[in-house]
Amino acid sequence: MDRRFPFKVLEHIFSFVDSNEDRNSVSLVCKSWFETERRTRKRVFVGNCYAVSPLKVARRFPKMRSLTLKGKPHFADYNLVPDGWGGYAWPWIEAMAARRPFLEEIRLKRMVVTDECLEKIAASFRDFKTLVLTSCEGFSTDGIAAIASTCRKLRDLELRECIVDDLGGDWLSYFPETSTSLVSLDFSCLDSEVKLSDLERLLSRSPNLKSLKLNRSVTLDVLESLLRRAPQLVELGTGSFSDELDPEEIAKLTKALSELKQLKSLSGLWDLLPEYIPLLYSLCPRLTSLNLSYATVQMPDLIDLLSRCSKLQKLWVMDLIEDKGLKTVALCCKELRELRVFPSGADLDETDVTLTEQGLVSVSEGCPKLESVLYFCVQFTNAALVSIAKNRPNFRCFRLCVMEPFAPDYRTQQPLDEGFKAIVERCKDLRRLSVSGLLTDKAFEYIGVHAKKLRMLSIAFAGDSDLMLHHLLSGCQSLKKLEIRDCPFGDTALLENAAKLETMRSLWMSSCFVSFGACKQLSQKMPRLNVEVIDEHPPKTRPDSSPVERIYIYRTVAGPRLDTPEFVWTIHKSPEVGVSRLSIR
Amino acid sequence: MENSNSYSPYSSSSVDSTKPLPSESSVNLSLSLTFPSTSSQRETSQDWPPIKPRLRDTLKSLRLRQRGYNTALFVKVYMEGVPIGRKLDLSTFSGYESLLENLSGMFDTSVICGTRDSKHHVLTYQDKDGDWMMVGDIPWDMFLETVRRLKITRPERC
Repeated sequence: MDRRFPFKVLEHIFSFVDSNEDRNSVSLVCKSWFETERRTRKRVFVGNCYAVSPLKVARRFPKMRSLTLKGKPHFADYNLVPDGWGGYAWPWIEAMAARRPFLEEIRLKRMVVTDECLEKIAASFRDFKTLVLTSCEGFSTDGIAAIASTCRKLRDLELRECIVDDLGGDWLSYFPETSTSLVSLDFSCLDSEVKLSDLERLLSRSPNLKSLKLNRSVTLDVLESLLRRAPQLVELGTGSFSDELDPEEIAKLTKALSELKQLKSLSGLWDLLPEYIPLLYSLCPRLTSLNLSYATVQMPDLIDLLSRCSKLQKLWVMDLIEDKGLKTVALCCKELRELRVFPSGADLDETDVTLTEQGLVSVSEGCPKLESVLYFCVQFTNAALVSIAKNRPNFRCFRLCVMEPFAPDYRTQQPLDEGFKAIVERCKDLRRLSVSGLLTDKAFEYIGVHAKKLRMLSIAFAGDSDLMLHHLLSGCQSLKKLEIRDCPFGDTALLENAAKLETMRSLWMSSCFVSFGACKQLSQKMPRLNVEVIDEHPPKTRPDSSPVERIYIYRTVAGPRLDTPEFVWTIHKSPEVGVSRLSIR
Repeated sequence: MENSNSYSPYSSSSVDSTKPLPSESSVNLSLSLTFPSTSSQRETSQDWPPIKPRLRDTLKSLRLRQRGYNTALFVKVYMEGVPIGRKLDLSTFSGYESLLENLSGMFDTSVICGTRDSKHHVLTYQDKDGDWMMVGDIPWDMFLETVRRLKITRPERC
């Protein structure tokens, strides 16, 4: 009798293991654990759709109910990845449709999704419940209509910041006439108008709807009628908040808003007019999440609003809030966990708001639970960073974007090395970091040594030499994703630390100084990495010394991808170079 | 509005003067570093500061408003002879072409700019002075400042 646990016992134990990281560790213990784990995994996460083949994933997890995929690298959000690079959802949808018809949830981020994909989903997964597309593109409202009409058990349909070929608002009328099982609906990224009557009727027959995010073309005068039909909402994204309403309409809307007793999260609020802020007062005491990134409201009005939001945990706001407004947040929003402050002067020539480093210092002092920050500011100081680190060693995500490239500490003219040193030394749980401002190689030495739990690092316009990259790749034990733009390195560091790249998900470098020859060498040396050179304007001849525009390197067990466009070079396109060992599929 | 905090991001004062002078091979590199790289594939694309496209678009229209331009980007659109109109957010269009395309789709007919004739629906607008004008004569940004409502005229019959 062998000494293995019976399958059933292992299966039961593994049912308590939720996190995929843990499950991955479990799979490595021995063959029988691998087998048991794979037969019980329900939620599958693939961080890079090119790291593994869809077929392999489909075969490995027979009980898969939920699939999450990510495609393009993160910098695609900022226009750094040319159109047509890749990230196609189709091969995955096709593979799952053929082998895993009981799939219920699909979540895709930064992928190209066509109407064909959506129609295939609708046709293939009988119990399909959840579709969440984040920063995706390639589909039209026809595809959405297919999902709406065919997926009878649909619970979640969320289009987050997608680029959709908007053929009109008809898609909304495709939901079944009978009561729907909708729990969340997000069409905030669509441009065209939906018919009010369609929306009203849908709300009336969706008793389970908890989250509704409208698009901008839903005007304020119709909001009341919608809210009346969905008073159970927990999350609301309004449409435009700027139409002129007469006093009677205002009274009705105020009442409708005050009836939303369960509402915890508020967003949308496009063009929010200051005179309408009092309408939101009744919601403030219960709000845990407030997204004002599209509300171009000035500081005094923001203070008015935020001083009433004592339970707020997540705040996204424009820098119109200014230091004074953030001071109010520090005083009133003691539950705050996440803060994002976006620049209202996106072109750098409109900086007439008084948002300085002081704003972030105040919040770090006053909000004991703050652990995630994204802060856009024109300039910063080391002293501020040190203060912030001392105040809030519990940061898990710290993203500072000093908008002026190479800006030193404006008081001392020193690089911001010491400031970021304080951050990585004190914030021992830091998982994600974005650095900016004037930084020398020293800053990256500190990061390499101290940022032990750091998984994702973003760098722009920084460093002096290859040493910088070397510090990062030879340190940063937990580093999984590194993205760098406009930094002056680095063949040497890349080649010396090639092995590190297999422990990471991906490395992105653009407008750096990596030569074509180094890319070839790296590809030859590391067959389990896909090394992609992405040049929109490749030169006719490519001498080894010529610098490349962008390089994207990621580990993969799927071998070279077969869908690269012309402007992506991989070693497999230069057969004369040769690979040291063919990768196995 | 006094702009006391304007910074030129590329002024030499922001460069650390204690750094070694760039050698010849890196001169080209430092030149490219003084300007954010732009993806030439998209029209007015910018990739710095790193904010998502939707926010960038919102900020564009915010700036228009801050400069005192027309605040109501939602305008009413009527088809001549049809009593019920539509509403359109002009800030979502990049120019006249996309506006015409959208209108043609919305009203299920071909809408053009230009002189009236027997075949096409021509687009006109009412400006802030109350006058009815032909769409397309002035630059798009200027049009956004002054437009109050739109009207699609019927083809002229002889």
